[in-house]
Amino acid sequence: MTITGMQSPIERVPLDLLREPLVWFFAEHYRHRDVCSRLLVMARTVVQEPDALEEIHDFLDYDLAVHVIDEEDDLFPLMRRRCEPDDHIEGVLGMLSGEHASDLQLASAVKSLVAKAMADGRGLAAYADAWAVIEPFCVSQKRHIAVENAVVLPIARLRLTASDLRGLGQRLAARRGLPDPFVQAS
Amino acid sequence: MIDQLLSNNMAWASARVRADPQFFRRLSAQQAPEYLWIGCSDSRVPANEIVGLDPGELFVHRNIANLAPPRDMNFLAVLQFSIEVLKVRHIIVCGHYGCGGVRAALDKERRGLIDHWLQPVADLAHRHQTHLMAISDFETRVNVACEHNVRAQVEYVGRNPFVTDAWRRGQALSIHGWIYSIRDGLLRNLELSVDRPSQVDELAARQWFPDA
Repeated sequence: MTITGMQSPIERVPLDLLREPLVWFFAEHYRHRDVCSRLLVMARTVVQEPDALEEIHDFLDYDLAVHVIDEEDDLFPLMRRRCEPDDHIEGVLGMLSGEHASDLQLASAVKSLVAKAMADGRGLAAYADAWAVIEPFCVSQKRHIAVENAVVLPIARLRLTASDLRGLGQRLAARRGLPDPFVQAS
Repeated sequence: MIDQLLSNNMAWASARVRADPQFFRRLSAQQAPEYLWIGCSDSRVPANEIVGLDPGELFVHRNIANLAPPRDMNFLAVLQFSIEVLKVRHIIVCGHYGCGGVRAALDKERRGLIDHWLQPVADLAHRHQTHLMAISDFETRVNVACEHNVRAQVEYVGRNPFVTDAWRRGQALSIHGWIYSIRDGLLRNLELSVDRPSQVDELAARQWFPDA
């Protein structure tokens, strides 16, 4: 029986997906679900796994925040520019933006808990409020991602132009301090 | 604290000369920028730096919320000088997401003189309030209004007599609308570029919202 199910590190998104930015978003969402699954297991575990906690902390501190910028300052504005009236996109994007703000607040609480566990050398289940802090974040994340995968990304696939996707991929890379993925490829 | 700025300046000038001994001699001899930048005063949007241009390469006009008001003498003087004397080839109107000026124009709080300066943005928001209010998240609403404000300023510049005179003379001059994100340091081209009056008309006819 495994204690936490944390045999492997959180998978990184392959960098060549930057040339297919919508696939990058799907892959990034998969990572978010994975992190949530790990967190829910860790919330029931009193034994500390320092590497796993640090990885989760880094994800909440950096990856999640950058991903919100990927969407709020990049993908969503592009979609507003490209979508047709029949897409009724504004209602969906408005709801998701509101959720981004609340998700970051929930993530901040989870991050504080993880930091405390790291400092104390304890597992997350050692804290009475662990489940109450972690579960709402994970539930919200999973629901949010489901809407993005089912509604936003399919419409993006339909509406964004090749030039939009190239620019999006280039900015995803630049935002992470990576070189232009299209220059690398050629 | 303030002395630090003078020390920084000394270090900057010295480093410049070390890298390029003729830099300041060349710069002092002539100003020939190809670009006029109309941007926000926000201290986090340093025009030259974010487009990687040296001093001398970008003529800059900044004010709160990157406005191009048709009755602002400061703006008009900059516009005329840049077109007729410097003969810039590109005018870039650059806004930024999360602009405090746009936010102030939207939140309806009274702040004083600044409310009068921001009246064009408030008017724009009022014109599109049905659509803007459909955006439930306030920060997103601000960001959408930031983009719309850039578009409105591109249109104002495109209809400015100094610009239309230049076009009538056959002077090559393009106007562009960009937006910057302080959160990632990246510019986005809002695809508002115009280089003749008919394109300004086409831009004015373009829909503002996807569900409009």
